[in-house]
Amino acid sequence: MTVLLVAAGALVALGAGVATGARGARAASVGALACLVFAPLVAEPLPETPVALFRLVAGVLAAFLLLVAARRAGDESASPLGLPATLAAAAAAFVAGLGATAVGLPAFGPSAAVGAGLACLAVALVPVIRTRDAFRLGSALLVLANAGILLRSGLSGTPPALEILVGGIALVALAAAIVTLAGMTGTATGDLAIPGDATERRRPPA
Amino acid sequence: MDLLPFLAVATAGAVLAVALQGRRRWGTLVGFAGVIAALVALVLAAPGEPLPIAGGVVAMTAYARVLLGVGLAGGLLVLAVSRLATWEAPAPATLLVAVSGLAVALGVGGAVPGLLAAGATSALAAAVALAHPATPLRVRALAREVRGATVAMTVGVLAVSLAPEAIGGLAVQPQVAGLAAVAAGLALGHRFGAIPLHARVARLSDAAPASVLPALLALIPAGWAVVLLGWAPDTLGPAAPVIGWDGTLLVIVALATLVLGTFAALIQDDLLRIVAYTVVLDAGVVLLGFSSLDPSGREAVRAWLVPFVASRAALIGWVIAFRAAFGTARLSESRGWLRRAPALGVGLVAIAAATVGWPGVLVWDARLAALQAATGGPALFVGTLAALGTAVAIARILGTGFGRPDPRVAAAPGELARVPAGLRAAARALRRPEGRRVATLRAASHEARPLLEMNRTPLRALLIVLLAGLALMTAGGAFGIRAAASGPDLPVANPAAPAP
Repeated sequence: MTVLLVAAGALVALGAGVATGARGARAASVGALACLVFAPLVAEPLPETPVALFRLVAGVLAAFLLLVAARRAGDESASPLGLPATLAAAAAAFVAGLGATAVGLPAFGPSAAVGAGLACLAVALVPVIRTRDAFRLGSALLVLANAGILLRSGLSGTPPALEILVGGIALVALAAAIVTLAGMTGTATGDLAIPGDATERRRPPA
Repeated sequence: MDLLPFLAVATAGAVLAVALQGRRRWGTLVGFAGVIAALVALVLAAPGEPLPIAGGVVAMTAYARVLLGVGLAGGLLVLAVSRLATWEAPAPATLLVAVSGLAVALGVGGAVPGLLAAGATSALAAAVALAHPATPLRVRALAREVRGATVAMTVGVLAVSLAPEAIGGLAVQPQVAGLAAVAAGLALGHRFGAIPLHARVARLSDAAPASVLPALLALIPAGWAVVLLGWAPDTLGPAAPVIGWDGTLLVIVALATLVLGTFAALIQDDLLRIVAYTVVLDAGVVLLGFSSLDPSGREAVRAWLVPFVASRAALIGWVIAFRAAFGTARLSESRGWLRRAPALGVGLVAIAAATVGWPGVLVWDARLAALQAATGGPALFVGTLAALGTAVAIARILGTGFGRPDPRVAAAPGELARVPAGLRAAARALRRPEGRRVATLRAASHEARPLLEMNRTPLRALLIVLLAGLALMTAGGAFGIRAAASGPDLPVANPAAPAP
C-alpha cells in the first residue's frame, strides 16, 4: 500500500465528510465531487487509464447533477452534527478501516479502499435514515453508493473494468433520479423538504 | 450476441419517450413505437456466445430474453388498456427504462454489476414514473423508492463482496456466509416488498399511475431476484449446512410474508392495493427459493418469475379496465359487476388460474419446488397453503361481482360492441347498386373515431382476455421457460482473458 493510495483514500473520506456535513449546498457538492472523483484511484492495481477516466468523468457528471439539485437548498437543512463532527467521524472510520485488515479482516484489496468505504458509510448512514431534505438525502445517497463500490474494491480486490464502467453509469443514473426528486420537491412544496417524512410526524413544525 | 442492438433500441426509445411524454399525441405514438421496436429487437435477438468486453462478458441469455420479452409484451398490452381508459404519459418511458436497465443487469456477467444496474434502474424508472405531476404524495413515494433502491443496492454489493464469486464457495467462513445471506436476502426482500419491508409497495400503488406498476412492482423486482439468485447458491450453497440461524431467519421472514401478505390482501378495499399485496405475499416464494441456497431452488424461482411478471401485468391491466368501466376501484362500491362485465369476469378467472396454476403446470410445480427447497413438514404445509393467497384474493373480487348491481355499476356501459348510426347507414348505402361508393366510403371514414369511442369497453375487455392468455401461456411453460430457467448464467469474467 503506497502513500498515494492512502492520500487518495483520505481525500475520498474528506470529500464524504464535506458532502454530508457542510452547511452550504455548494460546498457539499464540491465534497461529493472529491468523494466521487478520487474513489477510482483507491485501488491496487489501478484500473486501466481509459476506464479510470470514464469513472472520473462519471463522478464529475454525478457531482454536477447534484450541484443542479442544490439550487434551492438552504443552510437550515444541514447536518445537525456540523462539519467538524462529521469530518471527525469520517476520519475515525477511515483509520478504523486502515487498521481492520491488520487485525484479521479478510480482504483482497487495499485497506485504504476499506477505510475510505467505511468513512463514506459512516457519514452517509445518518442522513440517509433521518434527513427530510431532498438535496441532503441525494448527496448522502451518492456517498452511500460510493461506499458500496469502495468496499467492494477493498474486500474483493480491483473489480473488472466492465464492473467499473457499470458502476460509473449507475452513479450518474442515481444522480439523475436525485435531481428529479429535488425538482419535484421544489415544485410540490416550494423548498426541498420532503413532505410527510417520519421526522416531521414525530416532531411537527411549530 | 444480440444484447447491444436491443440495448440501443430500448435506450433510444426510452430517451425519446421521456423527451416527448409531455405531448399527448407524439408521446403516445413514440411510446408505443418504442415499446414495439424493443419487442421486435428482442424477438430477433438470438442467444449466442458471450462477447468479451473490458475484462468481462456481455450477452443476451435465453432466460433474460424470455423474462424481458414477457415483461415487454405484458407491458405493451397494459399500455393499450391504459390508452383506452385514461392516458398515463410516463408509462411507456418507464417500461423502456426498466427493460434497458434490466438488460444490462441480466446481460453482464457477475452479481455486482447486476446489482449496480438493478439499483440504478429502480431509482431511474421510479423517477420517470412519478415525476409529473409533482404532488406531495408522489414526492414521498419517490424519496422512499430512491432511498430504498440505493440502500438495497449498497447492502447487496456489500453482501456479494463478503463472499465474492471469484474465491469459490468453500472458502467463505460460515459466519461470513450467514451474514452475506441475510444481508442479500433482506435487500431482495425490500425490493420485492417482503413484510416488514413492504411499505414501498403500498406507497407506489397509491402514488404511481397504474400502468407503470407492472414495471415497478413486478419486472424490476424480478430482475433483482435473478441477479441475487445467480450468485447465492453457487457461492454460499456449499456453506449452507453450517450457516445456522441466519438461514432460518430468512425462512421465518418468508413464511410471515406469505401468511401476513394474504391477510393484508384480504382486508383491502382498493383493487390496486389488493394487487400490490399479492405481490407482497409472493415475495415470500422468492425469499424461500433464495434462502434455500440451492441450485434447485434457484431454477424453480427463475421459472416461476416469468409467469409472475405476466400474471401481475394482467392483474394490473384488469384493474385499469375495471376502473375505467365502473368509475371506481373500490370493492365496496362494485357489487354485481359481473353482470355488466362478464368478459372481465372470464379474464379474471383466467388470470387467477395463471397465477396459481394446478399440479403438472409450470407455475404450480415451480412454486412448490421453491417452497420444498427451503422448508419441510408443517412449514411447507403453511407455506403451500399461504402461497394460494392470491387465488383467495381474486375469489373475493369475483364474489363481489355476484348479486344485485350497485347503482354506479348498473349505470356502466356494457361490453357488447356498438356501431355508430352513420356507419350503419354507410353500410346500407354500399349495398345499394346505385350508391356513390367513393362518397359513401369517405363519409364512413369519419365514423372511425366514434366507432372507437363507443367501443372502448369491449376493446378493453378484449385486451384483458389477451393479457390473461399471455399469463396462461407463461403459466403453462410456453416460450421455453423451463429450459431457459435451467440454463447457465454468464461467467463473471472473460474466461479467455489471462489471469491477473
